[in-house]
Amino acid sequence: MSLNETEIAELRAELQKAIVQCSERCLYQAAKWAAELLNSIPELPSSNANATPVVVLINADPDEAALEAQEISKYLLAKSFFDCREYDRCAAVFLPDSVLTGILATNDLTSGGPSSGKGKAKATADSNGAALPIISQKSLFLALYAKIMSGEKKKDEDTEMVMGPQDNGVIINKQLLSVSRFLEKWFQGHLNEEGEYPESQGWLEYGMVFAKQKNETQAMKWFIESVHRAPMNWGCWLEMTSLISRIEEFNEVVTQLPQNIMSFMFQLHAHLELYQTGEGLQASLQGLLEIFPTSSFLLTCNALLAYHSKDFVNAEQCFSHLLALHPHRLDALDHYSNILHVMAYRPKLAFLAHLCSSIDKFRPESCVVIGNYYSLLSMHEKAVQYFRRALTLDRSCLSAWTLMGHEYVELKNTHAAIESYRRAVDINRKDYRAWYGLGQTYEVLEMHSYALWYYKKAAGLRPWDNKMWMAVGSCLQKMGRDRDGIKALKRALLADYNSAGSAGESGQPQLDPEILLQIANMYERLGEDEEAKGYMEMCVAQEDGGALGGDGTNLGESMAVHSQSADDSDDEDQGANEGTGVTAATSKARMWLAKFAMREGEHQTAYRLATELCQDGVEVEEAKALIREARSHMDEVKTWPPG
Amino acid sequence: MSRFLTPAKMGLLTLIELYVEGAVPGECSIDVLSFLTSHLVDSELATPAKCPDFNSRWRRAEATVNLVISIKDFERLLNENASAAPSMRGLWYIFLAKLWAVDSLHALHAFFGRLPSLLSKSKEELRRLAEAGEKTPPADEVGLSRSSPFGTFVRRAHLEFGRLRFHDAAELWKDFVKYRQSTAGHWKRRNPAFSRLSFDNVLLLGQQSWRQDHLVDLASVAYGDMLHHNGNSTDGRTLPVSTDDIARLLEFQVEQIQSMFLSTHPSACLFPRCEYGSRLPVEIRLQLQDLLSDSYMVPSLSHYVSFIDAWRAGDYPTSFDYLHRYFDYTIHHRDRLFYQYALMNLAAIQADFGCYREAVAAMLESVSTARENRDMKCLNFALNWLYQFGRSHPRFVAELEAHSMLGGRESLAFLRDKAKETGMYPLWSSAIWSEAKLVLESGESIATCTELMARSSQVLVERNMVGNFPAQSCLHVALWDRLGLSKLSNISSAVFLRSHRANSSFEDELRVVGRLADSMMAQGQWKTAWNLLDSLDENSLRSWRPKNLWTKYRAMGKLKEAVHAGDADGAGEIVCNLLQSKHDDLEPGLQFAIDMLHIKYLIMRKNLPAAFEKVGRLAKEAQDDGRDVVLGTKLLLTKARLLEAAGRPQKGFSAAIKAANAAWGSRLMALLWQGMGTISAILISLGEFEAAAELLTAVLPRALEWEDVELCGWLYMLLADSEVGKASKYPHIAVDRVECFGKAIQALDKAGRHWLAMGNTKQRGEVLAKKATIARFVGNREASDTYAAHYLALRSEAVKVV
Repeated sequence: MSLNETEIAELRAELQKAIVQCSERCLYQAAKWAAELLNSIPELPSSNANATPVVVLINADPDEAALEAQEISKYLLAKSFFDCREYDRCAAVFLPDSVLTGILATNDLTSGGPSSGKGKAKATADSNGAALPIISQKSLFLALYAKIMSGEKKKDEDTEMVMGPQDNGVIINKQLLSVSRFLEKWFQGHLNEEGEYPESQGWLEYGMVFAKQKNETQAMKWFIESVHRAPMNWGCWLEMTSLISRIEEFNEVVTQLPQNIMSFMFQLHAHLELYQTGEGLQASLQGLLEIFPTSSFLLTCNALLAYHSKDFVNAEQCFSHLLALHPHRLDALDHYSNILHVMAYRPKLAFLAHLCSSIDKFRPESCVVIGNYYSLLSMHEKAVQYFRRALTLDRSCLSAWTLMGHEYVELKNTHAAIESYRRAVDINRKDYRAWYGLGQTYEVLEMHSYALWYYKKAAGLRPWDNKMWMAVGSCLQKMGRDRDGIKALKRALLADYNSAGSAGESGQPQLDPEILLQIANMYERLGEDEEAKGYMEMCVAQEDGGALGGDGTNLGESMAVHSQSADDSDDEDQGANEGTGVTAATSKARMWLAKFAMREGEHQTAYRLATELCQDGVEVEEAKALIREARSHMDEVKTWPPG
Repeated sequence: MSRFLTPAKMGLLTLIELYVEGAVPGECSIDVLSFLTSHLVDSELATPAKCPDFNSRWRRAEATVNLVISIKDFERLLNENASAAPSMRGLWYIFLAKLWAVDSLHALHAFFGRLPSLLSKSKEELRRLAEAGEKTPPADEVGLSRSSPFGTFVRRAHLEFGRLRFHDAAELWKDFVKYRQSTAGHWKRRNPAFSRLSFDNVLLLGQQSWRQDHLVDLASVAYGDMLHHNGNSTDGRTLPVSTDDIARLLEFQVEQIQSMFLSTHPSACLFPRCEYGSRLPVEIRLQLQDLLSDSYMVPSLSHYVSFIDAWRAGDYPTSFDYLHRYFDYTIHHRDRLFYQYALMNLAAIQADFGCYREAVAAMLESVSTARENRDMKCLNFALNWLYQFGRSHPRFVAELEAHSMLGGRESLAFLRDKAKETGMYPLWSSAIWSEAKLVLESGESIATCTELMARSSQVLVERNMVGNFPAQSCLHVALWDRLGLSKLSNISSAVFLRSHRANSSFEDELRVVGRLADSMMAQGQWKTAWNLLDSLDENSLRSWRPKNLWTKYRAMGKLKEAVHAGDADGAGEIVCNLLQSKHDDLEPGLQFAIDMLHIKYLIMRKNLPAAFEKVGRLAKEAQDDGRDVVLGTKLLLTKARLLEAAGRPQKGFSAAIKAANAAWGSRLMALLWQGMGTISAILISLGEFEAAAELLTAVLPRALEWEDVELCGWLYMLLADSEVGKASKYPHIAVDRVECFGKAIQALDKAGRHWLAMGNTKQRGEVLAKKATIARFVGNREASDTYAAHYLALRSEAVKVV
């Protein structure tokens, strides 16, 4: 049976249409089959003209468009391979292995002997440069992307079990080298014409390769180029975010960015990733939400913003709203579960876990949610099991690493905890919880100088979070560096004060009596009894709202010394609001004060404080002893003058 | 589907919790507790072993199934009994309140989390509590002991819940919501705040913050489509059933399908059964299939159940398929080698479907494998099987017996000793009664036989092996049969049916019923016999083999009836059918009975040469196989009867004498009387009327004990003949002559009554004809004419009937 040319051309067109339609309907295997069949028809030189793609977008660049039209069958084949996850095969459609290895070999030569064999190397490079296949950029991108994906897949396979012997983070994507070499060469080839690169998406590619090799400045350069050319590529923006680790870096990058809506979103996202909060951010988010009122991404940002500013109630509501809007969406629900965990909303967390597991129980997010639920039930083994599952599904699942670290701490398995935290930090250096966890674990191991370093890291990431400073302070205290400790703790007080102040302008900010007690203790050790007494009194004062009248100035002063900010001086005159009530810390402070008064001979005060202690029902025995002592002294005093 | 936990089990746990909390009022506690135990404790203890009603065997399975599929059982217990005990109603609402308090997945976790608090504290825990300074629970608080049935159940439930993966816990929660939903109506009445979303607290609270349509979306994502079904119907949806339930039900099935033989052995379920249990009732089987199809992990035992079911249904290829599947799935689960058991089952099934040679080969391989693996139990069982098989199919094991010690007394002795050594008491007792049977069949001393039976009974009674009693009483029946005491044998049968039915396999039961029916037929009580045969459990008759057997019994009965009624065509048809299916039948006894009926039919058809040839052939076979002494004797007698029917009774003299001698030697009384009858017929033909009459007068009373109407009728006719013969020797007017005629008429009257009972018109006609003749001799013409008229009426009637 033979077909004439037009019939063959028709057949081709039919097959092409079939491939596109199948892959549009995600019938990938069918598409692959058709593509293989299409490519098995021998190429006829005259059929080029007929082979205009049926559905594919036409490229604006005429050269590229011609190339793309020519290789449409091969492209469809490669695409269908990619859809079927046969990455190596996909890459081989355009770039047979021989081409890539050839490039790798020549570059090794040039790098191996830059001075001695220069001429020779150049010759080979030139000859090889001619050997670069002439294909459209789209196809090239697809081929190289497939190469990288295959490398990632192999990497995952080689790593084996989560936290197993092979899983030490040193296994790298072996394809990166050859891909970056290839791209380097390609860009060299295209640079010569106008001194500038033609428009392409291949830039993104290049940047990614650099990112993986930890050459960050280079990568950022390419990324910025890329977003200028193809601004709608969110993946590229995301990669950029992961490269930025400090707000200063961010500010630097922002200046080089194009001004469009994507860049706006990027800024928002990056701020969130850097745990920034503030009015400006809120405003820009609101602005974006007006344009995209139901965007799940923006709503998530909104919720995360509230979460980062520790406004859990609001964050919970945002997420709850989001959940109702998109019940099938699992993204970012792990954050939601963190919030519910912190708020200890057990039934709701259980419901969320149920929801996730009925949507897809093999998504890292679902596993994290379930793990969080078990963690809340104090079933730590099960929680670890689910976090591990999440990591098996996606090794770069940051929250799972951190949370698994927490669980290991609960299980007293400090080594595993440290490793998990370390992995989390390696993936994202901005994760303060992991840093904090590392510090905590080392503190448990009584390696305070280590712990201090990690706490400092965490505090650097969240300078307005009192918990971080508290940790730094108590760590310093344990190391015997009381002066620094006091500074850190005062910083914590300030952070507390600031956040409370910004949260609501009415009401005296609450100070943590625990911190106050610690500061006082440290002053005592330094022998500065007056300071100590001041802080102890402040601590006791927190019971009923912290308003201490004249004594409060003491705090105001000390804080003013460290903060140098002007907005905290006018808060002192607020009167009674509800206090913390009697806590262990305040009772301790009261006991100290009583004893101190005793030493100072102020028996009346000592008597009053001890009686209060008795009323509160804390350390009654000791308090009673104090009362007896004070009364005897007071009796002495009473009986003295007449006598 | 979970391994163990189901919503039904949660209901049980809730009930236990109520009981521990003291919420169950005193007068209901017995009901509640017995309900709980009936679902927690295994069948043997919970239900009495003797079930008068056959169907009640399945009641437990039904109860389990009912409990699993709906909450109705709890309602029935707590609510519908309320009229009897008013405080029960209160309990029902407390129960509901507890169930509905589990209002979210978290509450489910909490529910299982607080289970350990139901248990009483151990001393260790109390000490620790005291050390920690916490208050110890008051002494009057009820706690479940850790090893009590409730305690183990609670602990197991707690443990199993801990082992559940989250997804399974969520499934359990969904199942529970579904299970509970049908009580929503009751609960609504008590709780006005009840709303459509009350089943999940999170959704209920979410009503305030979420929009209605979003809420519906969210609920449908979390709960799938179960919300739209309103939770009331269970059609087309999965049932919450656990592997544990399934496994229990399957074991129960296997136990019921197979009967109790060897049931004391741990792996009893793997021993193939030569006898048959019954198949599952259809509706229960359907329910079980529903449950099985919903269980995602099907225990491999279910393949075994399918195998047995297919086997029972007579579906040979399917049963093979399932047997192989079962062993393929089990072989890697167990540490022991199970190859020999597979072979054993294979052999049993082969033998059942008539592939005897393959069966023997498989069983021999099983023997050698068992020997290699030193599995004495399997070995003993296989040897026993081979022995039994050899008894019924001597041809296939003939060469084996020649070469080895398999078969015969030696192997029985070996089995007996081995069984005693390995403690397989059922096998031990069965070896002994096999020997008794052997003694009986070879016509040896009755005393030896009874001694052996007594020994076997002693073993049985000592170990209380109820499963072996049926076999034992079957042997009793056979013994009395041989001794010609039909009253006793009928009583034994009745005893069997009354007290051992529950423990016996259906096939044993069928056999006993068949024998009883046979005896009824022999007494001419046709109606009773048919009623007996029809009274058997219809469901059990769904099994292929019992059904076959039952059909045979019926066909044979019909054949006898037809032969007696003189319906030659009808009889011919039945004989044809019976002879066709003769070969797929296992039992030599039954086969022989069919042959005998065939000969009877041939005699009826007056095809004497064919009958004679058949008798000769059968006699040869019996001699070759060394069969039961009864068969040989019967054949000899038949030969003599044939010669008599051919009008040459004297030729059968030696046969008759031989038969009588054999029958006397083995105490086969029924046959002895028959032999005596034959001899007296010969004597009559020789003109020795005095001797014949004397012989018959001696035999008749004993023959009457053996309530065989046909035999008695025949003997009375012979007596009449001999009396008439005697009369002929007296002078014409002698008083003695008249007396003899009178005696003859009396004998004929009695014979006539017997034949009437039998429905044998031909013989009745003969009786009337003889009476008419005698009357004429005596000179009583009037009477003679009456008899003749009767005779004619009978004949025309018979013709009409036929």
